[in-house]
Amino acid sequence: MDRNQITKWLKAPAKMANKYSLHAIYFCTGCGIIEVPPVITSRWDAERFGVIPVATPRQANLFLITGYVSVKTLRAIIRTYEQMYEPKYTVGFGSCPINGGMYWDSYNTIKHLDKYIPIDGWIAGCMPRPEAIFIAVTHLWTLIDKDMANGYIRYKENYKLYRRNQETVLGKLDWPPLYPIHDNVKAVENE
Amino acid sequence: MNESIKEQLESTFKAIVVTISEDTRIVVNFEKDQVLAVLRFLKDRRFDHLALVSCVDWIEKKEFELVYILTRYTQDEEEHREQERLHLIVKTRISRQSPRLETVTGIFSNAEPYEREIHELFGVKFEGHPRLTPLFLERNYEIPPFRKDFDTRTYVKGVFDKIPFVENKDK
Repeated sequence: MDRNQITKWLKAPAKMANKYSLHAIYFCTGCGIIEVPPVITSRWDAERFGVIPVATPRQANLFLITGYVSVKTLRAIIRTYEQMYEPKYTVGFGSCPINGGMYWDSYNTIKHLDKYIPIDGWIAGCMPRPEAIFIAVTHLWTLIDKDMANGYIRYKENYKLYRRNQETVLGKLDWPPLYPIHDNVKAVENE
Repeated sequence: MNESIKEQLESTFKAIVVTISEDTRIVVNFEKDQVLAVLRFLKDRRFDHLALVSCVDWIEKKEFELVYILTRYTQDEEEHREQERLHLIVKTRISRQSPRLETVTGIFSNAEPYEREIHELFGVKFEGHPRLTPLFLERNYEIPPFRKDFDTRTYVKGVFDKIPFVENKDK
């Protein structure tokens, strides 16, 4: 442990603990998942950075979306994201979740993932190298330190708008709203 | 072996065109009302593996072409054992205006998901299919999206690009 971080540990121990033990759920869409097995196993060993894969979204606080997102996948992504406990961080991996990538004119691919769930960071590339995941993790540490990795707070604030976008694409959603929609209607529309 | 299958097909069916395109590849073209008879005939001659059912949209000729690829699991004739496996590419055409065809699930039951997929993506109706329910797509499309007259670019502009960003991107 770095000695000049001791003050940080004393000030906000929970935040530091979150930061150094990111439990990742990998959403295996598309081709990006091929980069993940070497990352979590001995070749690049993500546990050096405190990143460890977990089995279910209820144990995770880092959500990696690796690859293009089709309409059907989006439904599963939203359900997975809403099951995770706070604080939760999302990272879009590869150029497809950013703006569609090579599927920019596909009839069934979501082009901008951040219209539907909040994203804390992006890893650009097609495909990004495994090292890029670690660069993203260290950037995420900085963001957590500065309280800028606040996607789950933004999701709560703008839940009505996110839910509206989700329903535009998927039709009527068959699960109830995660947050009460009516409370934050006015706060958002006045902005 | 190739010639014998060609002769057998040509002597049994009328209006069937058999071309041997490569050593291991035979292309069979026939009328659409013979589809069950031809596939049953070939299955009885040990072409018991339906590898693929696919569809091609010939928009200028206003036709859909359905392609069935048949092959064998085993080559047990002594002289052909060393050879590559023989593939039969069985093709038929249906009109684009009213795309209907008999299902082949009675002969090859593994055709079921293929025909569901073709029904969903091309809009071909397979008569007698046990369940022509949606397989992959979540949204309803006016034109089935794999047809050539489906304009993906207009569709994306009209649907996915119209959805606004939730937060201001400049921040």
